[in-house]
Amino acid sequence: MKRWICLLIVLLLAIFVVAEKISIIANAIKGGKNTQVVEWFEKFLPDIEKELGIQVELIQTGIKDEDFKARIVLDIKGGGGADILWIDGFWVPEFAEAGYLRPIDDILETVPAWKYYYDSMKAMGSYKGKTYLVPASTDVRMIYYNKELFKKAGIPLPWQPKNWEDIIKTARIIKEKLPGVIPLQINAGTEMGEATTMQGFFMVLLGAGGNLYDWETGKWIVNSSALRDTLNFYKQIYVDEKLGDAELQVSPGAREKTFDLFRQEKIAMYVEGTWMYTSVLNPNNPSWGFPDRDERIGWAAMPGRGKPGDPEFVSISGGTGFAVNPNTKNPKLVAEVLKRILYVEPQLSYFTLKPFVSPRSDLADSCWTVNKDRFIAETSRVLVKYTTFRPAFPVYPEISFQAQLLTERVVTKQMTVEQALKEFATEVTHIVGKQNVIEKP
Amino acid sequence: MQKKYLIGKKAVVLLLIPALILISVFLIFPAIWVLKLGMTNETLTGIKAREPDFVGFENFSRVFSDRFFYNALKISLLFVFGSAIVGQAGLGMILALLTYRRSRRLKTIVQSIVILAWIIPEVVVAYLWIAFLDKDFGTLNVTLSWLGFEKINWFYNHPILTIVLFNTWRGTAYSMLLFSAALETIPPSYLETADIIGTTSWRKFKDIVLPNIKGYIFTDFILITLWTFNVFTPYLLTGGGPSFKTELLPIYIYRNAFKYFKIGYGSAISTIVLLINLLLAIFYITLSRRKKT
Repeated sequence: MKRWICLLIVLLLAIFVVAEKISIIANAIKGGKNTQVVEWFEKFLPDIEKELGIQVELIQTGIKDEDFKARIVLDIKGGGGADILWIDGFWVPEFAEAGYLRPIDDILETVPAWKYYYDSMKAMGSYKGKTYLVPASTDVRMIYYNKELFKKAGIPLPWQPKNWEDIIKTARIIKEKLPGVIPLQINAGTEMGEATTMQGFFMVLLGAGGNLYDWETGKWIVNSSALRDTLNFYKQIYVDEKLGDAELQVSPGAREKTFDLFRQEKIAMYVEGTWMYTSVLNPNNPSWGFPDRDERIGWAAMPGRGKPGDPEFVSISGGTGFAVNPNTKNPKLVAEVLKRILYVEPQLSYFTLKPFVSPRSDLADSCWTVNKDRFIAETSRVLVKYTTFRPAFPVYPEISFQAQLLTERVVTKQMTVEQALKEFATEVTHIVGKQNVIEKP
Repeated sequence: MQKKYLIGKKAVVLLLIPALILISVFLIFPAIWVLKLGMTNETLTGIKAREPDFVGFENFSRVFSDRFFYNALKISLLFVFGSAIVGQAGLGMILALLTYRRSRRLKTIVQSIVILAWIIPEVVVAYLWIAFLDKDFGTLNVTLSWLGFEKINWFYNHPILTIVLFNTWRGTAYSMLLFSAALETIPPSYLETADIIGTTSWRKFKDIVLPNIKGYIFTDFILITLWTFNVFTPYLLTGGGPSFKTELLPIYIYRNAFKYFKIGYGSAISTIVLLINLLLAIFYITLSRRKKT
């Protein structure tokens, strides 16, 4: 008996030693967050394994983005981690500076699809002249609304606000006609992390013609009338008129809670990205999916403030992609796996599971002609021309946290708009230095 | 009079060596390391992850001008006072006194229930409390609304009270056990004599029980104060929120070091917390020494 066990152990060890293994980590878990990603990998990874004669392991996580980032950072700093990292594109600068990503220009030379990627997307994945990330998908941002609730409140469909005032008027009607329904969810506070900066704060700030970073002078903006108006908008929604639920923004697990409430049809309007529609509300999503999503959920472009000179509509884009761990023992094998993930066929099968705005031209054409995903086609057509990117500098996450604090302090009434702005200016100046900040009229 | 020792001095030193090595490796060395890290501007990402600079005491002076530090310190002190001193020690004492000189069975039942709260894994406990207190689906609020009361968002409206109650519930067992054991050391004749002359319960407590178990109370205070000061579990309940209202010092350190990746800054705060711990320990020890003499 003992001998058999010994033999078994030796055999098992032999398998571990012989079969080479490549691991991929993604913030996805079957049946939960980004379940479609796991389903997609399950579909085609066996083929890659067979073809290359190796093991490919998908490490599932499905946690808050901030926690996922911490995990990856600690993995790499500790000398380990998965070979292929499916990460957010805006982490690239700080990761690259820390030496946490392997430049992949050599790998990309062997990837036929690389020539189809749009320049703006290539820029998202590169830092200081080197490429670190192959963009997997990009997105745009908009306002989702629940058509049933709108009908009940007597708001004519299709709905398209022209300025902030339109949004507020609609929210007022919903508040009056449908008690118990939160009229508007626009992310605020530090609990939601980057989701506050990206889906909430930036969407408002851009609408007032503002930004966090002045591209002309290369300085961070610590005070401007756009910033002030952004905060006043938040104040009007969460404090003055209570058209949003301030408590919700700062409660633990706030983001998931808002998804729950949207699913229960207790939120009428929700400012979010493409991902919301294709993943969270996806009919296949067991937690938050709407079986009749296409009939029930509408979307509108997010309008600007409405003063002369303000942008008509706004959107901001981010994206995720594949990066390579510098600790990987076998970059050649990683290149082979990566190459196969980026073949048109797996990409199209991913598109059918979880449609996305494509970062590459060959796919963009086939997506819209072959698959005809109406949502992606329409949102891309309307919004891509308005969209912009975050100022991707290593220091951005710290500034972003200060922006989240700004909204939090205002919506929870801890500070007035002026106090919060003053605090913001002090902190940002401290982070980047006096010579790198600017005040705008 | 010459004292007789069981073993020689050399043997004592020899036997202490393994313990000293363990303490150095797992306590003294990390403490020095943290102090060293605290004097750099090391981060987990960005250029400072690769090439951190030595910044001396800059981090420390920043901590002392950081409003979040004072917020965390204030909440930690409230938390320690509320949940350890008043909550755990107070409730522990009451439970110990209530079961003192009562039937064995009553004592076993009460102790089992209290200890149960103490031995369940932290994550499970946190989950149970969320399930109990949540605004929408929590058992307490569902029950309240059945009874016709308004639902209460405990985590939002009473954040500190929530974690104080939670930690009292969680950790009372230790104080209760310690006090129960301490009460057993009082010679029964003292209380029996008091019974015969018809002393009130309060006088019995004040003049007989308290002086006899004073030493144990100090030990209890030292231990639970330090434990509570460093406890992290409330993070699982509230994440430090809403809006930093339950951000205890350990959570504040965690947020800076592992959420915002400022390892150097986090280490500086850790060093300060370490010093606060030492001060607390010294405070209690001198207090208990003074009582003895």
